[in-house]
Amino acid sequence: MVKAGNACLLKLEGVSKTYRGGSTKAVDSLSLEVRPGEIFGFLGPNGAGKTTTIKMIVGLLMPDNGRIIVDGHDIVKDPVSAKMRMGFVPDDPNLYNRLTGLEYLNLVADIYGVSAAERTRRINDLLSMFDLTSEVKDLIQSYSHGMKQKLALTGALLHNPPLFILDEPMVGLDPRSSRLFKDLMRSHCDQGYAVFFSTHILEVAERLCDRVGIIDKGKLIACGSMDELRKLSNETDESLEDIFLELTLPEEAD
Amino acid sequence: MKGRLLSLILAQLNMNFAISHSRYYYLEKRQRLWEGILIVVSIIMTALVLSFGVYKLACAFYSQAAIINQEALTLTTGILAAQFLMLILGVALVIAVFYFSNDLPVLIPLPLRPWEVLASKFAVILCNEYLGLLVFITPIFVAYGMRADVSLISYALSAIIVFLTLPVIPIAIASILSVILMRVVGFTKRKDILTIIGGFLLTGLIIGVQLYLQTKLPARGDEQEFIMQMLSQANSLVAVMGRQFPPSIWATWAVSEAGTSMGLLSLCLFLGVGAVSFGLFLALGDRFFYQGVLSGFEAPTSRRGALVDKQGRHGFSKRTPLLSLAVTEMKLFSRTPVFVLNGFIGFLMFPVMFVVLLVMGNDPQMAGLWDSLATMPEFHSIGALLVAAYFFMLTAFSGIPFSPFSREGKANIWFLRSQPISGHAAAMGKALAAEIMIVAGAIPGLAVFEYIARLPIASLIIGVSLGIASSCALCIWGVLLDMARPMLDWTDQQRAIKSNLNTVIGMLIGMVALFLIGYLVYVLFRRGYSGLVAQVISGAIIALILGSGLRVLRVAGDKLWSRVEL
Repeated sequence: MVKAGNACLLKLEGVSKTYRGGSTKAVDSLSLEVRPGEIFGFLGPNGAGKTTTIKMIVGLLMPDNGRIIVDGHDIVKDPVSAKMRMGFVPDDPNLYNRLTGLEYLNLVADIYGVSAAERTRRINDLLSMFDLTSEVKDLIQSYSHGMKQKLALTGALLHNPPLFILDEPMVGLDPRSSRLFKDLMRSHCDQGYAVFFSTHILEVAERLCDRVGIIDKGKLIACGSMDELRKLSNETDESLEDIFLELTLPEEAD
Repeated sequence: MKGRLLSLILAQLNMNFAISHSRYYYLEKRQRLWEGILIVVSIIMTALVLSFGVYKLACAFYSQAAIINQEALTLTTGILAAQFLMLILGVALVIAVFYFSNDLPVLIPLPLRPWEVLASKFAVILCNEYLGLLVFITPIFVAYGMRADVSLISYALSAIIVFLTLPVIPIAIASILSVILMRVVGFTKRKDILTIIGGFLLTGLIIGVQLYLQTKLPARGDEQEFIMQMLSQANSLVAVMGRQFPPSIWATWAVSEAGTSMGLLSLCLFLGVGAVSFGLFLALGDRFFYQGVLSGFEAPTSRRGALVDKQGRHGFSKRTPLLSLAVTEMKLFSRTPVFVLNGFIGFLMFPVMFVVLLVMGNDPQMAGLWDSLATMPEFHSIGALLVAAYFFMLTAFSGIPFSPFSREGKANIWFLRSQPISGHAAAMGKALAAEIMIVAGAIPGLAVFEYIARLPIASLIIGVSLGIASSCALCIWGVLLDMARPMLDWTDQQRAIKSNLNTVIGMLIGMVALFLIGYLVYVLFRRGYSGLVAQVISGAIIALILGSGLRVLRVAGDKLWSRVEL
């Protein structure tokens, strides 16, 4: 089990990414921090750069510029240590269809070096929580989208990572699992860990997140708690939806 | 407006040859344009060199055949070999393209008849086969046309028609057998394993039937009469050779006798049988294709494999990440019918061919050949080196070590890339899995070889040790190659393992390395060196290749891994 040891679990410093051959920056000089105990919501319109940012954080893409530090470890210079400190679930978790759920979880546990006793406890607890116990010996190809999502979440939480990275985690979850998962995110952060997730469901972000970052056209245009965002818009009772729509208004509508 | 079938075929061809994809990345985005140019130039150069080699071979063959008045045998041999290979490899190819394509969930909900989907996929297979035939058959047609006394226009016209229809019959036969197999498999619960077993059985059956027909050559005691008849009658051997696959005779006469009534009749016969087999395939496909595909979508829900305690909780044991990666890789490979059918076909093809020849061959010359070989002074040393070469050849031809990252595809590679695994560890896990599968796959062939050759145990151990070391070396370099340029974008699993340029490069490198080492051993024997010297020198070369591969992996593995972007 890896313990969080830094004041900042995720730090992005001037991160930029231009896709090869592209002229516009998918992510442009992005800087932000996620602190221990914090649920950080990452919002933005379609194509704003959310998934590109997340892919860079988890090492699926290399940033052109800037640094990404995960619990004190640079994802480019020391990727293995950085990845040991996080768990990741993509927006469309394509898992190995020809493995059983249990085989998949065992593979993840082996990679993260989770002891037999610890994995037994964690897997059973998580499977029970997500109501997957009876299906876990089936091939993943027989799972519904939601079940795959739950299995991916279970795998990502197996080693109790200090930083939990999620791309659209609520998509595909049934209401009960969604509620359980939100509780889990909170209890994860109560241990001093952090959650960084992207979502389009603004109500969830508003209720759940300690801080929110809004990205548009690759740039971070707002970042802070709900109160801080409201101050930005000079309205005290505005919802996150109002703030989001106001900040990400298309140029021609100005 | 294009017809919907034509539109479907064009879309399938576009995806198969990545036309829009290449145009977008290479021409519009100018992304790694040099790589695209390099690939195209390399393919054209390799094709030209190979074509020239086939042309020279065909010319030499023609000259020899002309001595015994059997010039058309040049065409029959080429056509027969091409159709035979297409038929043998067709089952695995057809099952992959028809039943395991990523686009089936998109195509099936469309208002298309099953035969339309099948016809579009059949067209894709044909076009892929044409690429191989272009290199292999065209030079033979050119060599024959330039030497034989033929009318240029009618010869060229017939040759083009035969070229275009050559793959139809073997692929249609393979398709018919596969559609029936997959329909039968659809009734069962263990679909994947039965697809694998059925695929191998069909391939074995095809090889068996071909070899059986081959052994039905003139009965013992009639050789003298047969030879006299052959010499007196022009191209009579064509009919004998063609017994293995009769359409090859019609194709031969259609081309060699172009412009004559016999040529026309043969062409009609060839086209007619092609049309009938294609029609039969479409009719059967229209009836059974979707049933087979849809049953494949019904995933099994067997409860298996894990420990459960009295409270119904699952228990677990721990493995090292390297072992866990290797075991997972082997599970994924062995549970994917297309990978198994394509990767393991060589493991079974050679032993099956040996066994069929042993069982069916009533020719004592076969046994005599081994007896005379066994009395050679260096036979044991040569035998050990042959065993090593067998391992090396299986590794090169299986495609397994040259496609481990490609096989993950765009859908799954995110998992490994986001895990805390170094490039070195990821590659070692893949190489270990490939090596275990190849060693296991070599056992049947090795057993048959040992049964025939009866090598002493010491020679066998030396051969197997050299073989495993050489296979390891190729696995390491293969995994490195695939890590450097994985083909993650594919529409069916076949493309990831067999239609992958990395696999082709691996085969070529393997063949060249095997030829060079083989030639060196030959030179050593010619100069009177002992078998031990040949073994030691071969071992040193293998150690050098293995050591350099491990070194490159240690130095560059992590960098290559970080370049695999999504």
